[in-house]
Amino acid sequence: MPLHRQFANDGKELIIAIKGKFDFGLVQEFRQAYSNVGDQQPTVFIDLRETEYLDSSALGMLLNMRKSLGKSVKGIHIINCRPEVRSILDISRFDKLFVIE
Amino acid sequence: MHVYVIDDGSDLARDVNAQLRSYQLFAVSTCSIEQVATLSAPNEKVLYLVVAGEKAQVAQISALLQSSSTQSILITDSPIVFQQLGQFATDALLWPLASNLLQQRLNYLHQLQVAHDQLDGLKQSLAWHKARVDREHQLVEHIFQNALSRNYLEYAHVHTYLTPVSKFNGDLCLIAPGPLGNIYMLMADFTGHGLAPATGALPLSQAFFAMSDRGVSVAEMVTEFNYRMSRLLPDDMFCAAILLELSANGERVTYWNGGMPAALLFDEQGEILKRLSPAHMALGVVDDDEFDSRVATFRAPKGSSIALFTDGVTELLGHQHKFLGSEALEMLLSKYPRTEDFTSLVDELERFRGETPLHDDLSLAILSCRPTGLGEVKVEPEQFGLPFVFESVLHPEHLTTVDPVAHILSALSQLPHLRRHRTTIYLFLAEAFNNALEHGLLALDSAMKQDPEGFAEYYQLRLERLHALQHGEIRIRVHFEPNSKELTVSVSDNGSGAAEISTSPNFTEKSHGRGLELLRQMTTDLHWDSETRTVSFKYVL
Repeated sequence: MPLHRQFANDGKELIIAIKGKFDFGLVQEFRQAYSNVGDQQPTVFIDLRETEYLDSSALGMLLNMRKSLGKSVKGIHIINCRPEVRSILDISRFDKLFVIE
Repeated sequence: MHVYVIDDGSDLARDVNAQLRSYQLFAVSTCSIEQVATLSAPNEKVLYLVVAGEKAQVAQISALLQSSSTQSILITDSPIVFQQLGQFATDALLWPLASNLLQQRLNYLHQLQVAHDQLDGLKQSLAWHKARVDREHQLVEHIFQNALSRNYLEYAHVHTYLTPVSKFNGDLCLIAPGPLGNIYMLMADFTGHGLAPATGALPLSQAFFAMSDRGVSVAEMVTEFNYRMSRLLPDDMFCAAILLELSANGERVTYWNGGMPAALLFDEQGEILKRLSPAHMALGVVDDDEFDSRVATFRAPKGSSIALFTDGVTELLGHQHKFLGSEALEMLLSKYPRTEDFTSLVDELERFRGETPLHDDLSLAILSCRPTGLGEVKVEPEQFGLPFVFESVLHPEHLTTVDPVAHILSALSQLPHLRRHRTTIYLFLAEAFNNALEHGLLALDSAMKQDPEGFAEYYQLRLERLHALQHGEIRIRVHFEPNSKELTVSVSDNGSGAAEISTSPNFTEKSHGRGLELLRQMTTDLHWDSETRTVSFKYVL
């Protein structure tokens, strides 16, 4: 499964992990993954530990997520980025829009 | 049994011989004391029946009896000889005897001999079995040592106290670094203790180390563990486990606890901040579809530590025949909260136990939540290999059926020096390829991607137009120059759409236009040739 979605800490955190390739091929699945975040205002964690490849469509999908979730979540964290992924996010100035750790 | 009558030539000897032969019980031979040394050893057990009259050669008989390990009965009619030699024989009789006494004694000694032989045989076979078991244990120990040789117990920020009941531990405490500077820790307790549960440790540890190397998530790890354990373990055996991951900055903790005592998060003052209680069944209990891999996460405050332990610790039986209990353990942690107190903590546990033997394996580990200091996995500096050119010309039958960029990358990343840059190279190739395909051949308009709905529609349209594509080609060329470590990429299309790349920066928060911006920022010599409809750029590794 390239996308894995799981609530943790009694619904206070939503973890979405993407494995392998993160691009437009996941566009529906990714939207689905954050479509129902509940009313607990969770923090969303995008876990990229196993993301090998991504392109600008993935960046677009992340921005769309941010736009669509707005205040219904406490924040969006992008976690466990491999160094190459991290530098792509940095060049795109994603650190201003997401918490990258 | 073969009876040798050692005959001194006396009347007594004649009487004894006569009586003996009348029993017809055993093989009987007669010889003089001088002849004893020359006797050849018969196949069966031997008994000396030493007859010593009043004029017996006491010294010679005494020497024989004392030097020989053969069973012997001394028969004499002299109380003096009886006194002198009786102590050296297995049995001594003063002649004349009550009727049948000699026969009874002989039978008795014979039975003793048989029992003795049996005991000897058992002893030997026991010794043989013991040697075999020892050898097998050695082999298994060796296998365990090798299997666990990767265990990173010497990690600076963890302290452990691991004591098995027997040679083999049914508890497992594994530590491994992940590729992102994170660290994984698994504490597991198989049902029972000794060799049988310890065997389960082999597949579990192999999976743990392999998955730590890949840096997979806690949820995925426990799913795999449960898969393996539920297939491997018999129905009455399972494996309680807590798996924990600490992020590289030492702040973020993710854990899954199946049937283990609640691990404890405590601060430097010894206050218990959190109990990492079990929320799941132990590993190996339920099938894949029932298995719940949901993890819990929290932020560990600076200076805090996590104590993980098996029930062997809380059920430690003290010298006053009382269990330690979890309250007492928490009190001990409160008393010795700092890492440098760990030995004192262990001393207290040992004092509590005293001389009482352990009745379960005992494992305690304390992990300090601080930056792991492990860093990302360093890649050995590599020799840059041969120059090469890679070219692929793609037609609709390729474009509609495979993902060309992923294919090209899986080939290129076989080269060791390119492997480390695969994510970046993928990005460049994907951007240039998608530009040529989406705008050049499929004539899609990126402006559609302005809003989330349009974004999805854009990719739906991409799919539809791609499937309808009859003509067109995309040429991807990658040239690598090892001396300058330079990768030159060019992507051309023969379509008619607007694939042109503007080289002026246009960076916004829009959901599109990002790809070309990334190309602009990360590559050099970005160029669009409208004659050949080719985008080209360079990237230095």
